[in-house]
Amino acid sequence: MVVRVRVRNAETGATVDMELEMENTVEEIIEGVSAYWEKDPGAYVIRKGRRLLRGQQKVQELEIQANEELELIPDPEGGNR
Amino acid sequence: MKGAPVILGGKDLEVEEMLPPALERTLPHKWLPKEALPLYADRSGAEMYLFKTAEEKVRNHALSQVKEGLEVMGFLLGEVFTHQGAEYTVVRDVATTNLEATSVSVRFDPEGFESLFASLECARFRYVLVGWYHSHPGHGCFLSSTDVSTQKGMFDRPYHTALVVDPFRKEMDAFCLTNGEVRRRKYLVYWDEFQNPYYGESVRPKKIRM
Repeated sequence: MVVRVRVRNAETGATVDMELEMENTVEEIIEGVSAYWEKDPGAYVIRKGRRLLRGQQKVQELEIQANEELELIPDPEGGNR
Repeated sequence: MKGAPVILGGKDLEVEEMLPPALERTLPHKWLPKEALPLYADRSGAEMYLFKTAEEKVRNHALSQVKEGLEVMGFLLGEVFTHQGAEYTVVRDVATTNLEATSVSVRFDPEGFESLFASLECARFRYVLVGWYHSHPGHGCFLSSTDVSTQKGMFDRPYHTALVVDPFRKEMDAFCLTNGEVRRRKYLVYWDEFQNPYYGESVRPKKIRM
């Protein structure tokens, strides 16, 4: 079984449509979209509404509805050195 | 056997043509560092418009940690527009959460993401993270090597802005990348019609003669 979702890149407003299998993990989703947008997957998290999706969670655990939108959020670091 | 997620197609943001905020409702920031002032000889050519209340949130966030000398950080939530071929952003709000901060570094507390997401969910418009803000308490406004690496890795579009505030020196300046190089960005604070200006004279009721 597959589910289709939309992932929005919060930094640019760009979106991608993805087909996910129930066994896919959040980490794999981040890797997929990061490769597409040429980003470092380690520097991003994904949200579903107010929920942070954890890397090892599988799609079947996420209660994702067909065509639901997830959002890729950067995890920046600042400093003065 | 499990396959990798399949990307079916993508779509970029469609940038709208829009008039920037009216010049009479914009002002340069009160905390511009001396070295930025030549850029503000007139008010034309601004590349970022920071809404008055968003500016207040950034400034107050930085000031809230002055005693402790800790850095603060958050996202700039806004929209991207073009006008006469030039791209600009309008920052309508900011979002932040609990931080892991010292006097020389800052990042989001991993336990604070859900509170950050709650703020994003409350945004009343389809935002783009048009940049980020953070403070350099007592160190002045510039982009450190850590900041440049964040900017290059995450905020690398021409419209992305790094807003830096020093609450000790009372300075706030904006930076961006052009061809991979850091440069200062001209920004103005704006306010809505019938709102009190960012600074200067407020609207007062007129006396009506009976």
